Amino acid sequence: MKITIPHMGNVYLAAKALFDGLGVDYVIPPMNSKAALEIGSLHSPEEICLPFKIMVGNYIQAIEQGADTVIITGSCGPCRFGEYCEMQMKLLRRLGYQVDFIVIDAPKCIGLKELMARIARVAAASPRSRAQKWRALAQAVRIMNLLDAIEAKAHEKAGYEKVRGTCKRLLHACRQEAFRCKTPREMLRCLHEYSRRLDQVPCDNSAKPIRIAIIGEIYTVIEPFSNLYIEDKLMDYGISTKRMMTPSWWMGNTIMSPLKINSPGIRMASRDYLPYYIGGHARECVGEAVLSWKEGFDGAIQIFPMGCMPEIVSKAILPAIARDKDFPILSLVVDEMTGEAGYVTRIEAFIDMLERRRSHAVSRH
Amino acid sequence: MKVGIPRGLLYDQYHPFFTRFFTELGAELAVSPPTNRAILDAGIQCCVDEACLPVKVFHGHVSCLKAQCDLLFIPRIMRLFRSEYICPKFCGLPEMVLNSIYGLPETITEPFYADSMAGLRKWALRAGARITRDRRRIKAALEAAIAEQLRFKTGYDDQGYPIRVALAGHPYNLYDTFINMNVRKKLNQLGIGVVTEESADEEEMAPEVAALFKKPFWTFARKTYGFIAASVARGRVQGVVYISSFACGIDSVILELVRDRIGDFPMLVLKIDEHTGEAGVDTRIEAFADMLERSGRVEDHHSPHGQRLSCCESPV
Repeated sequence: MKITIPHMGNVYLAAKALFDGLGVDYVIPPMNSKAALEIGSLHSPEEICLPFKIMVGNYIQAIEQGADTVIITGSCGPCRFGEYCEMQMKLLRRLGYQVDFIVIDAPKCIGLKELMARIARVAAASPRSRAQKWRALAQAVRIMNLLDAIEAKAHEKAGYEKVRGTCKRLLHACRQEAFRCKTPREMLRCLHEYSRRLDQVPCDNSAKPIRIAIIGEIYTVIEPFSNLYIEDKLMDYGISTKRMMTPSWWMGNTIMSPLKINSPGIRMASRDYLPYYIGGHARECVGEAVLSWKEGFDGAIQIFPMGCMPEIVSKAILPAIARDKDFPILSLVVDEMTGEAGYVTRIEAFIDMLERRRSHAVSRH
Repeated sequence: MKVGIPRGLLYDQYHPFFTRFFTELGAELAVSPPTNRAILDAGIQCCVDEACLPVKVFHGHVSCLKAQCDLLFIPRIMRLFRSEYICPKFCGLPEMVLNSIYGLPETITEPFYADSMAGLRKWALRAGARITRDRRRIKAALEAAIAEQLRFKTGYDDQGYPIRVALAGHPYNLYDTFINMNVRKKLNQLGIGVVTEESADEEEMAPEVAALFKKPFWTFARKTYGFIAASVARGRVQGVVYISSFACGIDSVILELVRDRIGDFPMLVLKIDEHTGEAGVDTRIEAFADMLERSGRVEDHHSPHGQRLSCCESPV
């Protein structure tokens, strides 16, 4: 059994550590690129959302490198993501690929027993002892949390750094070096080292950079390729960004949600605008918009793939928040046809507007 | 008290329930007229651009009604069957409308769970409290409304046509003859009868759906997939006509599952949006009708998409 997973931001690093720790055979698909997207859009249904197409590209590239088992997570709607597994299985079979799917779905729709049986299939491939397996899992979770923390730190500090580009370079070097690590322990050590180095980046604490919150659909905000590396671009402009949606947030939220005690801040903040969970992360998007206004951000950028059902609802609500709170929000829709020039122009215009608001006393800063 | 009910989305399927419920409570009703150009234009103007056509049309109905009623009913239909949803846009419909249209009267936006009697009662008590304080009257109105709905039958099952096709899609695309340009009439005029999913048996559909790896969590997906798969497998129809609104997330999934199931069985997918031109729709329907007619006469069946085009057609 040779396992692969689709890309989503830095998840591949945590997955690599987990599989290394378990001692199972795996393929990390080549980093997302135009090639993966082209393969994906060639075979995928036309009107399906962008993450599906990129994921199909990942699978096919990984299969070419010998992968025969795909692990993905599922959900029980009402967002389309829950149907991905079924459609992708059929699609790959139709293309003639012999590949197994292990779908880690929510226990409420497949039952706890089935979920355990599916996890056991992964665990059975590992020659390690039970204790070692648990340790590998714990280390992978720590790596994911650490990676998200490093990323958040770099994105925030980009507005304050004395030498423009230091944080961005460190972040990229960190990912590359972490990927070269052979064991989870080595990776943890490497991440701690980079975390320390980020703390030591010389900063201008009197700087008052523009601060922007990145909100929207989870895949397109986390996976930099799908949003045309918006966070890197904003770092280049010397803008401090924050994104609440991270893989580690998702893990915590998923574990807490059956008890309905997940993300209390978002629940409270979204109450006036969208008091129900309608699928996907629409409520989170609305809640984060309100929270970032409360935290004194200059503006927010919403990103979602073309046709995303939950985010269309939040896009209808965001203008009301922008109006009520006098808080600029830009919505960007991405798909395989998104042209970089038009995209960048809109981001630059938005930043110009935020800067001018400051000099015109309409801003709170 | 005048309650406004927009004639959009699931109105065609569930109007007996909602109209009866509000009339029993003693409210006067204001229902928007059937969709027309003015309603569509109003909807396009106020609705968020990315939404699908039926949601835009619903916005149009609301803006047409807003000055004619004191209390506007915006259904937030969360669930019709157990552990199934409709669509995220249905769950967030009131928020979309409230934040897109100005000058709305008071609204009823309570979540509607029709999968259990308790859910219905909760909705009825909350929604009814806006009109009357008499809880007994609300409960009686709910009973009457349910009975009324159960008596109501919808769906097409045309008899006496040489060719029959399955007409599939979301009910609001099938029964709103303005937005689908009366596809049924067009097909009938070409000598093709239509059947809709209401004519299919739940028992025939269930095994088709159960054969999927994962049970679809949308009511429309389960029913539409089950209906098409069952009627094609049993040879009840010669073709499938699927009416789908542009950028419908659920249709993008259903169509893929259906294609995988029925292979190259003839299927026409009509995409509709606010720009659809009628001439193009006519041409496609006529071409599809021609193909169905000929594949009946020619021994070697025509493939609908060119993989098996026969080179030895028998003389007709």
